[in-house]
Amino acid sequence: MSVVTLQLGQCGNQIGFEVFDTLFSDSHCSQIFCSKKENEAYLASCMERFFREEESGVPVARAVLVDMEPKVINQTLSKAAQSGRWKYGQHACFCQKQGSGNNWAYGYSVHGPRHQESIMNLIQKEVEKCDSLSGFFIIMSMAGGTGSGLGTFITQNLQDQFSNSLRMNQIIWPYGTGEVIVQNYNSILTLSHLYRSSDALLVHENDAIHKICAKLMNIKQISFRDINQVVAHQLGSVFQPTYSAEGSSHYRRNPLGDLMENLVPHPEFKMLGVRNIPQMSENSLAYSAFTWAGLLKHLRQMLISNAKMEEGINWKVRPPSSRLPALDKPFVSQELHFNTSIANLLILRGKEVHSADLGGFKEPALYTSWLKPANAFHVWKTQRGFRKYEKSAALVSNSQFLVKPLDRIVGRAWNMFASKAYLHQYTKFGVQEEDFLDSFTLLEQVIASYRSL
Amino acid sequence: MARWRRRVRGAAALPEAVAALSRALPAAPSPETFRRAKFDRPEAAAALWSLLARVLSALPAPAVPASLGPEARWVKAALRAQGYQRRALWELPEDGSRGSRELLLALSWLLARGPLLEQLLAQTRVQLGDRMPAFQCELPARPGPAAPSVAPEGPLDVRLVQWLMGTLRLRWQGLMCSQQEHAALLSKIHMFTRGCHGDCSLHHLSVVETEALRDPESGRQLLQALESENARLEAAMHWRGSQLVYWQWLDTILDICPAGAPTPASPPACLPRIPKRGVDEWELLERDLQGLQEELREAAEPRRAAWEARVDGQGQGPQWSRSRQAVREAVSQALASLQQSWEEGGIPAQPLGPHRLVRSEDGMLSSQGLRATEVISLLRSQEACLEALLCQLQEQCRRELARLAGTLPGLVWIPAPGR
Repeated sequence: MSVVTLQLGQCGNQIGFEVFDTLFSDSHCSQIFCSKKENEAYLASCMERFFREEESGVPVARAVLVDMEPKVINQTLSKAAQSGRWKYGQHACFCQKQGSGNNWAYGYSVHGPRHQESIMNLIQKEVEKCDSLSGFFIIMSMAGGTGSGLGTFITQNLQDQFSNSLRMNQIIWPYGTGEVIVQNYNSILTLSHLYRSSDALLVHENDAIHKICAKLMNIKQISFRDINQVVAHQLGSVFQPTYSAEGSSHYRRNPLGDLMENLVPHPEFKMLGVRNIPQMSENSLAYSAFTWAGLLKHLRQMLISNAKMEEGINWKVRPPSSRLPALDKPFVSQELHFNTSIANLLILRGKEVHSADLGGFKEPALYTSWLKPANAFHVWKTQRGFRKYEKSAALVSNSQFLVKPLDRIVGRAWNMFASKAYLHQYTKFGVQEEDFLDSFTLLEQVIASYRSL
Repeated sequence: MARWRRRVRGAAALPEAVAALSRALPAAPSPETFRRAKFDRPEAAAALWSLLARVLSALPAPAVPASLGPEARWVKAALRAQGYQRRALWELPEDGSRGSRELLLALSWLLARGPLLEQLLAQTRVQLGDRMPAFQCELPARPGPAAPSVAPEGPLDVRLVQWLMGTLRLRWQGLMCSQQEHAALLSKIHMFTRGCHGDCSLHHLSVVETEALRDPESGRQLLQALESENARLEAAMHWRGSQLVYWQWLDTILDICPAGAPTPASPPACLPRIPKRGVDEWELLERDLQGLQEELREAAEPRRAAWEARVDGQGQGPQWSRSRQAVREAVSQALASLQQSWEEGGIPAQPLGPHRLVRSEDGMLSSQGLRATEVISLLRSQEACLEALLCQLQEQCRRELARLAGTLPGLVWIPAPGR
């Protein structure tokens, strides 16, 4: 089943390109650690999901590119076409010459309705070229104007027009010390609206990715391209094909649907994060060897101590010894800095994947009291290695990891709102104070729900 | 001389009949098993227990839960559910070591009772065409209150219920998606193989046929499956012609059975357990029915009185009787359609047997078979019925919840906003 990707704004388009490039190059990778026949099935599965065939023979990404400025889209299109290996569809992009001025309200209330028909037409055309549509993958940032405002508007439209298809929003969480003054306003408006119209919010924090680039990849001058490539690597390790069941040799047909079913069936808990292990520059890869036991032990500790990478993990954090029902023990888990999970999806790729011992992830202490590990923990496997990694693991988890950052953003936005700073820029484009209040209420509810796990 | 020859022919007919029967049955028991069973030899018991298990599980209702323990116990329960009443069978040990004669009698009882061989053959039929997916579901007879479900152990967190509901919804969406994908791919195959089929009324190949052509190994397997099915069908035909001699032989077996009353003097070891819940539901249903009758009477009487009062004011005459006739006809038609929609969900009985999906050009409509448009409109009307039923049930649930919330003091009831 196919996934149609929507790349929105500067951030969305740049990341989207890296994602497709990663998926393509991994599928055609030479070092695979499995049989040739298996590799062919892997390649076919990935191609069918994210690309389509055209007469020219060059695979075309199933994507629609949207931005209010032409520069980034043109760069993206030409980079893809230059490689000669894959490309974007000829008429798959929509851009204007106007920009959104980092104003969520402008993107949502002005650009949205104005260009709704054209954009939805493009999406419809792309959907018609799929045999069957699993859902939409919408890549956007939270802090700017186009990605956040227009992205939210489009997601709502997708909910209306394609109500039977799934929607996953890939959101870039801005730097804490970001440049955009109103990024907190943009963020809370985006998150609160998306919570109602999206099925899952997969969040990548710029700060965390930045640290990964610095510490693990040893990059001296970190550019946005480096950040985007790390994000693309993580997304690729989640969405590349995996076996449909334990012991099966067929690849899963609907990873988007399966992922959502495993992690976000509850309407109040939709925030997902990804952790990856190992993560390093390609030069170091040749000199490293790993065991599943070591990888999983680190990944587990990363999960429970809310670490974003395998360096600097706090090994002192331990699961609580007894897990009382949440109502009896509010906020204690916060004091222990223990990251409680609701549900986890572990994805293992590489050699001897069936021998990996998963007991550490099945302990009830890791999870909230009302969901047992049988329902909360899932694992996907394939023997085919990912991007030359002999063994690699990715963990998509629905846990408390975003409570603190979210609280911070809500707090800052509230301070600005209370002093009515910059509000007129939003109210003049149709976003009233009530909309802000609604957003605050919804997000406070989300924070409270996650805290009481 | 002639009589001797006839007797020899008669003697030869029995082994042939038994051989035909054993070839037609699934898992082909050897004819020797039947002969041994006549003399109640223990070696034949195991084979007959498994044969009966196999045969009984292929029969339609009533279903017996599979977790009943050893195979022998399950077979007894299933036979009991089918209505078999011979006491000697209940008394057989459950380790499956004895009782081949009784088992042979039970098997023959099943054979005599209904079209057993035909049912078994229909189950294992080799499908060559693409089948229409089965959409039928049963409408509940009356929208009543939801049956009380098993009480969960311990306090239940509502978040878990919400989680599970969400999982169900997503799984349902995924299923619809796969169905759509399946239909799209099937359509592609049908389009690409247009004109390839030898049979002109089937305009294209099915998936099985395409696969057989594409991959010689699967073609070989298909051929083997068809050949073995043919062999079983031939055996069944042969059996039909020669079975009289088998029943005569069974009479002789019954004669040598130890005298025992065929009806059970004491209840068999495994009775179906009628759950107490069933009795409660029955009483609930009865009360519901009485309540409904009351309601109908209260609603109908004043209306009837008002109508009669109006009618009394009307004049008589031919015009009046004609209009009354027309009204009567309209009412009886409306009643009939209402009744039909209650009983059958609006769908007339579909012809039995699987339907092969065939895509044909416009204008080339074959006389037999269902048209897709007909099936679609029937399904749509059933969908409308079910939606109405769902709304009714939801409304009932809402009222019940509001009533329950009203009984708890200090509880503030905020219903969720509709989407």
